Amino acid sequence: MDLLPTQEQQQIIDTAASFLANEFPIDQLLGAPNSDARVSREHLQKIAQLGWLGIGLPEELQGVGYGLSEEALLFVELGRNLMPPSLLGSVLGGRLAGLSGEHDRMRSLLDGDIKVALAISRAGSETKIGESISGEFLIYEPHEADLLLIANEGGAALLPLKSVQTTEDDRCIDETLGVSSAIAKNVPVLCYLPAENDNLFLRGTILVSAMLLGIAEATLARSVDYAKQREQFGKVIGSFQAIKHYCAEMAVRCESVRSMLYHTSITFQAQSPAGVFDACSLKALAIEAAQYNANTAIQIHGGMGFTREMDIHLFVKRAQVLGTLFGGERYHLRRLLCEPVVD
Amino acid sequence: MNLDFTPQQLQFREQVRDWLQAHKPSEPRPEDGAEGRAFDLAWQKTLYTGGWAGINWPKAYGGQGFDTFQQLIFLMEYAKSGAPGDHYRFNGLNLAGPTIIACGDEEQRKTHLPPILKGDVIWCQGFSEPSAGSDLASLKTRAIVDGDELIVTGSKIWTSWARFADWQQLLVRTDPDAPKHAGISWVINRMDNPGMEIRPIHDMAGGSDLHEVFYDEVRIPLKNIVGGINNGWRVSMAQLSFERGTAFMPSQIETQKTIEELIELARNTRLDDGRLAIDDDHIAFQLAKLRAETRSLLAMTLLGISRNERSGMPGPEGSMLKLFQSELYKRITTVALDIVGADRAHLSGLTGRWPQAFLGSFANTLGGGTSEVMRNIIGERYLGLPK
Repeated sequence: MDLLPTQEQQQIIDTAASFLANEFPIDQLLGAPNSDARVSREHLQKIAQLGWLGIGLPEELQGVGYGLSEEALLFVELGRNLMPPSLLGSVLGGRLAGLSGEHDRMRSLLDGDIKVALAISRAGSETKIGESISGEFLIYEPHEADLLLIANEGGAALLPLKSVQTTEDDRCIDETLGVSSAIAKNVPVLCYLPAENDNLFLRGTILVSAMLLGIAEATLARSVDYAKQREQFGKVIGSFQAIKHYCAEMAVRCESVRSMLYHTSITFQAQSPAGVFDACSLKALAIEAAQYNANTAIQIHGGMGFTREMDIHLFVKRAQVLGTLFGGERYHLRRLLCEPVVD
Repeated sequence: MNLDFTPQQLQFREQVRDWLQAHKPSEPRPEDGAEGRAFDLAWQKTLYTGGWAGINWPKAYGGQGFDTFQQLIFLMEYAKSGAPGDHYRFNGLNLAGPTIIACGDEEQRKTHLPPILKGDVIWCQGFSEPSAGSDLASLKTRAIVDGDELIVTGSKIWTSWARFADWQQLLVRTDPDAPKHAGISWVINRMDNPGMEIRPIHDMAGGSDLHEVFYDEVRIPLKNIVGGINNGWRVSMAQLSFERGTAFMPSQIETQKTIEELIELARNTRLDDGRLAIDDDHIAFQLAKLRAETRSLLAMTLLGISRNERSGMPGPEGSMLKLFQSELYKRITTVALDIVGADRAHLSGLTGRWPQAFLGSFANTLGGGTSEVMRNIIGERYLGLPK
């Protein structure tokens, strides 16, 4: 038993962190309105060349052959760096196509030739996801997207974005992402994978939780740095318990979610009876941690935190968006309560 | 990253499970202090005879010398089996004993360690004082060297089980002129030493396990100083790191049992509007959240153990566990009150254990370092924020 990343896993983390810091500095996002194009097609292909989009796919499906743990570690770094959720669309889309036997489509997804936007059902709409889909949806990053990935506990589907009727780009709470709404009535899908074959919805839950952990950790790190520099009343503000205790609470949330992410990536991959229990627990905790930490980080940064000169607000907004993907807090808590006791 | 136990570890788990099943006491631990003491000592003797005493103590000092994973497995199985908690045995096994192992001399080890393992003695702690709580290093209980003895005068507070204990690990000020951390000594004191007065404190939950202890020119041999005179702060810090290690695993499994029992209670308890408590959204979401948090407590423990195993020493992450767990337990008992509704007022009723737990839960975020002290430790030692 060893819950810490192995040396090889640590290498994945380090490589990802340094690549992202060099290629996609967060400064790029400041003042850039709707930057769906932050990850252009060329960027996506560059990322694909690193093997990231197929990192958790078995080698017989032309993937890198790592498991969910490695995939999750990568997504923590992507989340920390505010990389767009469509990367999750590419990873899950590649898996969906591969496991559905659509090898050509999988190849273009893994090569980054196709961009996959994520869609969620709008509250109150009658949704059907199967060989065809119906319902009202919200689509993140529709700009330049080719395909749409939509999943629920029953299964996951890929379909052409053009096959649904979408509004023009609407404003998203996260100004670095585009959003539009769509209505679908019995629109046939390109491929559909029932959850009993491979649960993409819960896999997405775990990976989006990883991105939320990245947000929680990034906002803790920024807060601690700021609290060590900013002086008031002749002292750095980090020496005041009011600030120190906020930081401690943020640190505990990071520790709790990181532990759960590691634990869940193992139990879910092993198809242990605890997999669903852990995934639902993880998402609820990750949402709370990311939102608490990002929101608290604004308070710690004071008035400057409220401005667009600093990047903290981007984390606040991204935490809200990620919380809506693959089931919100209420969904996962309700589901968790229905799960049997685990060891 | 893996959660696998080796075949040897799995075999060890079977062995622990079988032994506990065959030997754990069938009757519950008595409420009464003196009977509780006798019960605890008898159970410790059984563990000793069975070869399970001192699982984290080195073999050279009579312990089992189990590695981290054996300890983890033992503690998990122990808690699951429903075997009695440490209770009065806690201090000797987890605090005083390990401190004497780490910092004591050969004679102190020979004299004091075997009786702890064999279930002959109970230990207690004399650290906090009325004016030295969170600021422990400002303690004033004075010890003057007189020949080959210390003469101790002062008072201690919050000493658990004092009137049922044989020995005490006591912090005294041996140099009042030195900076506050540098003038303290850690000494072994007999609880029947002349000049001592022990008064129980009656707590808000109806218990009286806490005490004030007064010292009026109490004589303690110099040879009972552990780790050298004026070195007591370092000695007691070595001990605090034990206090937040795997020794807290049993109470984490207790927390898991408690939340599952509470969910079960909510499935069977009707609210005043006739619905089952579990069908109330507010209660259901709170219970689910507590369930998730309790699950992460286990994951945090496993991650902490993995870190200890690599670095060879417990880090300040232990304070995160202590903070998280004690605050979580408090929230659990508060939600329990919501579920039992007006029956919360009925302490001796069928669901009386829940309001009782609520009353007792306040101790969790105070004892062993308050939540505020934990947050300071996390902020300063883990995040590197200035004092």
